[in-house]
Amino acid sequence: MDKKDEAKHVQIFGIRHHSPAGAYYVRDFLDRLDPQIVLIEGPSDFTELIPSLTDSRVVPPVAVMAYTERLPVRTIIYPFAVYSPEYQALLWARDHGRPVRFIDLPSSVFLALEGKNEKNQEEECREARSFIYHQLDLLSGQGGNETFWEYTMEHCRNEEAYKKGAAVFGRCLRELTLSLEGPETILREAYMRTQIGKALEEGILPEKTAVICGAFHGEGLSHGDEMGEEDMEKLPWMESRKTLMPYSYYRLSERSGYGAGNRAPAYYELIWEGMNRRDFFWAGRKYLAKIAGFQRSHGNPVSTAQVIDAFRLAVSLAQMKGYEIPALCDLRDGSRTCMGEGKLSDIALAVADGEMGTAIGSLPKGVSQTSVQSDFYSQLSQLKLEKYRSAVGAELALDLRERLNVKSREAAFLDLNRSFFLHRLAILGNVFPRQQPVKQENATWAERWILQWTPEAEMQLAETVLKGDTIAQAAAFCLKEQADRAGNIGELSGLIKAACFCGLSESVVSVTRALQAMATDTVSVRDIASAAGSLSVVIQYGDIRRLDRQPFIPLLQQMFLRGCLNFPQECACDDQGAASMAQAMDRFHQTVVSHDFLDRDRWIGVLKEISGRDDLNTRLSGLASAILLEMGAMDQEELGRQVERRLSKGIPAQLGAGWFQGLSMKNHYALIARLSLWEKLSQYLDSLDEEEFKRALVFLRRAFADFTSEEKNRIGENLGEIWQVNPVQVSLKVNQQLGKTEEELIKGLEEFDFDDF
Amino acid sequence: MKEEKVQRLAAEQLFQDEIEALIEAETGPVPTGWKMSPRSVLTYICGGKAGDMEISPKYIGNRRLVEIAIATLVTDRALLLIGEPGTAKSWLSEHLTAAINGDSTKVIQGTAGTTEEQLRYSWNYAMLIANGPSRKAMIPSPVYRAMESGTIARVEEISRCACEVQDALISILSEKRISVPELGLEVPARKGFSIIATANTRDRGVNDMSSALKRRFNIVVLPAPENLAEEMEIVKTRIAQLSDSLDLNAALPQDSVVEQVCTIFRELRNGMTLDGKQKLKGTSGVLSTAEAISLLSNSMALAGSFGDGVITDRDLAAALQGAVVKEQGKDEKVWEEYLENIMKKRGSQWLGLYRECRELN
Repeated sequence: MDKKDEAKHVQIFGIRHHSPAGAYYVRDFLDRLDPQIVLIEGPSDFTELIPSLTDSRVVPPVAVMAYTERLPVRTIIYPFAVYSPEYQALLWARDHGRPVRFIDLPSSVFLALEGKNEKNQEEECREARSFIYHQLDLLSGQGGNETFWEYTMEHCRNEEAYKKGAAVFGRCLRELTLSLEGPETILREAYMRTQIGKALEEGILPEKTAVICGAFHGEGLSHGDEMGEEDMEKLPWMESRKTLMPYSYYRLSERSGYGAGNRAPAYYELIWEGMNRRDFFWAGRKYLAKIAGFQRSHGNPVSTAQVIDAFRLAVSLAQMKGYEIPALCDLRDGSRTCMGEGKLSDIALAVADGEMGTAIGSLPKGVSQTSVQSDFYSQLSQLKLEKYRSAVGAELALDLRERLNVKSREAAFLDLNRSFFLHRLAILGNVFPRQQPVKQENATWAERWILQWTPEAEMQLAETVLKGDTIAQAAAFCLKEQADRAGNIGELSGLIKAACFCGLSESVVSVTRALQAMATDTVSVRDIASAAGSLSVVIQYGDIRRLDRQPFIPLLQQMFLRGCLNFPQECACDDQGAASMAQAMDRFHQTVVSHDFLDRDRWIGVLKEISGRDDLNTRLSGLASAILLEMGAMDQEELGRQVERRLSKGIPAQLGAGWFQGLSMKNHYALIARLSLWEKLSQYLDSLDEEEFKRALVFLRRAFADFTSEEKNRIGENLGEIWQVNPVQVSLKVNQQLGKTEEELIKGLEEFDFDDF
Repeated sequence: MKEEKVQRLAAEQLFQDEIEALIEAETGPVPTGWKMSPRSVLTYICGGKAGDMEISPKYIGNRRLVEIAIATLVTDRALLLIGEPGTAKSWLSEHLTAAINGDSTKVIQGTAGTTEEQLRYSWNYAMLIANGPSRKAMIPSPVYRAMESGTIARVEEISRCACEVQDALISILSEKRISVPELGLEVPARKGFSIIATANTRDRGVNDMSSALKRRFNIVVLPAPENLAEEMEIVKTRIAQLSDSLDLNAALPQDSVVEQVCTIFRELRNGMTLDGKQKLKGTSGVLSTAEAISLLSNSMALAGSFGDGVITDRDLAAALQGAVVKEQGKDEKVWEEYLENIMKKRGSQWLGLYRECRELN
């Protein structure tokens, strides 16, 4: 027999993708034919995944994803449901120990072809197809062409009918659209013919070769030439990788349309089950019972009588069209009329549940996954998070502190490790974890997460392999990328924190380096202070996240030095700038005192310089003095000198008062305890004339606004001692409600003219 | 029959030819008690062909709903048509019975005063007192008669009946028999018996239906026409039929007039302009398609009797004013706003109508 004639004898079973009846009859077909080899339409390089795909622990829906290694990532996805004819053919081959292969173009070629096709032709073809489907929609009325399919294909009573139906449809569609098909279809069919030819060359009888393909290709595979070697080499190629991933009915229903998916996967699964029971009405009854069950469990009573009525109505609706078995649209209308009081909105949720379903497939551990996926799953089980891998979102509250009542180290830090894991996923942009705000403020040890598994999460996970082989690596890569892109110190500080949350000390160091590099360029002490501050927090509280702090210390030391060198000169600023500078100084000081490894004497030197210089903003000088006082680095004598100098008659009142304001920004008690200070202040006020006094008063009032009444009492005591009066009286006077005359005086002060400052 | 000069002929009389043609051309199986197959009923309601004869569509709208309604009656379940006023509930129920039984006259018109006897049976009291209870002295209700003959009875405006009266239907529908204890009689329903009830969802003076009763019905909700074209089609078809039977002596309104009326009605009903770009206030009453039909036939009567037989903007304005402004004060403002904000800016085609409306309001 000549090769072409041989090809004509190959046994082709045309199917509709994701067709329960097809899935059932394809098994009948294979049983009857008992082929020596099974060839299936699908990227030929997926053949190597077949053993994993047919592993008995695999629960469909699952999908094979091929993706390009280089950016931008292109992907193609081949989903399989339990009722996919291709999947059942694979299972049949496994059960009977027959070789099975995919025979379509390799995924690398598909990925390379994507985007290469001439747009016009593709569109034209799509238009022609959608016109045909539109005609089918019109023909079938309610439910569109899916209804047509269901009546004509899914309710076939035997294999012969299904085969014939598919063949007729395939042939007609071919006649109508083949001339418009792009080169891709021609390439694919030639390639498939070649693959079939290859199988025949291996000595397999054509009569014992089963080919499972879409109905459209039926004719294309038995007629025509094989692809030449040269053409084979000319095929475009794009390096790709493949992975198996769990899929969901939700996703399957989103990709509706011929071949790609269907709108009601959960219902189709019922048809599949019904087929296996050889009961064509089973799916309809089960569907209605499911809707009724859903309604009942959601507080809407539905009686069995209503279910029966709905079923009868559905049957009679189908009969009106001349069919025997009700299709989904009949069943839906039946339930709407009999269970939903005529309104679809009343049963919409139940219908969605019955048609779409929430099923998610699963793959056993180690079944052909990317390294990242296997890392993810092993961590998931290590961290005891497996039960959160569900389609329904669940809340997880973490307490990062060490648990003392457990035996192993892992158990003690379980929540902490969970937190690292989730933060890493979050930084990768994975949708599985979503962090929620914590109710208790400042609880650095608490975290709340919502975990919800979707196929998107799995896909993102698989795509993550582009960034690294493990989740930790990928997260580190991601952080580095972001650090390289970061434009300002604030962003970098945020990244340090993120890295810290992820428990990636190396990333923290690398981001911090980037931050330090940026800090050299930005001379602003404010930025340095804030960067040093966030670093300090990491070092201080890194403890709770078990972070290695050693690498940060030299960094912080460097920043400290830069800060010290730059602080004095930047303190020469106006009052507006002084506010943020004061904050920076305070923050920087906090950083310095929190860490022993920072040279405190140098900082004191800097502060002394600031407090001693007269050409800087007086408020900052005052603050520096206050800090020195607090540290015990300024003695009584020095303070006395300062006060005398700052608060003397020659100095403009606003400067003097500004200094005092700065001085009082820190520890009030340190001030109150120093009697000499108040003596000096009293003397200073005495020396002022009325106009000067008014000015000074405005500023001093502001300075004293922060004091509590208790503190004011003690100041009163001080003053009482100085003025030799009863402290109680003074205190009374100070805290007394204002009288009328005083109110007026204050009003006068408010109208005080600031223009001359 | 048309010569009888009846104000409104029953559906089976009006469309006698079509029904006969459909029965003639019947190919499908006919359910017991029916005159034609369910598919022919569908053709009768939604239009199509019977042999050579063109069947006019009676219900223009969602064909699937009609399918559900007919399929319901095939399964001998009772049918409840629910919808806002003027969505062709009674119309559909009348035509369904006309096609299925060739008799749409077994009707109970539900009101607040409807009693249980009217649903089951009552007595000719003179005879009852004179001769005692007898079959002759009993007056069977339409439901009773439908049971006996295996046909369909209609209950119009069921939600207007008092709840306890409504509930009399529960046992009738579940047991499919009426017992007459006075005569020791049990009347079982023959095959083909069913009930089509209609109910308003949004009106004054309607009672809630018990869920026990609702469960005994298959419920079909009839929507307002989906789009302007559909509504215009409905209005035009009905106006043509009405003007025939009412001898209105006026030309049928032009498409532009129908379009204007339907546009105004739809916009006020939906609370926004047709293009969805502007929100507007709705009226207190429901501006139904049925009302648009009667508005136009009124205008035709006005034009036929007092004008030159062509509907003028003035006639239309008067009719619109009456239809839209049902509650003094409130609706007037809505109407005025509509005139100024929407109609005035519609261009020359609407200018004439706008001026007339303006003057009247």
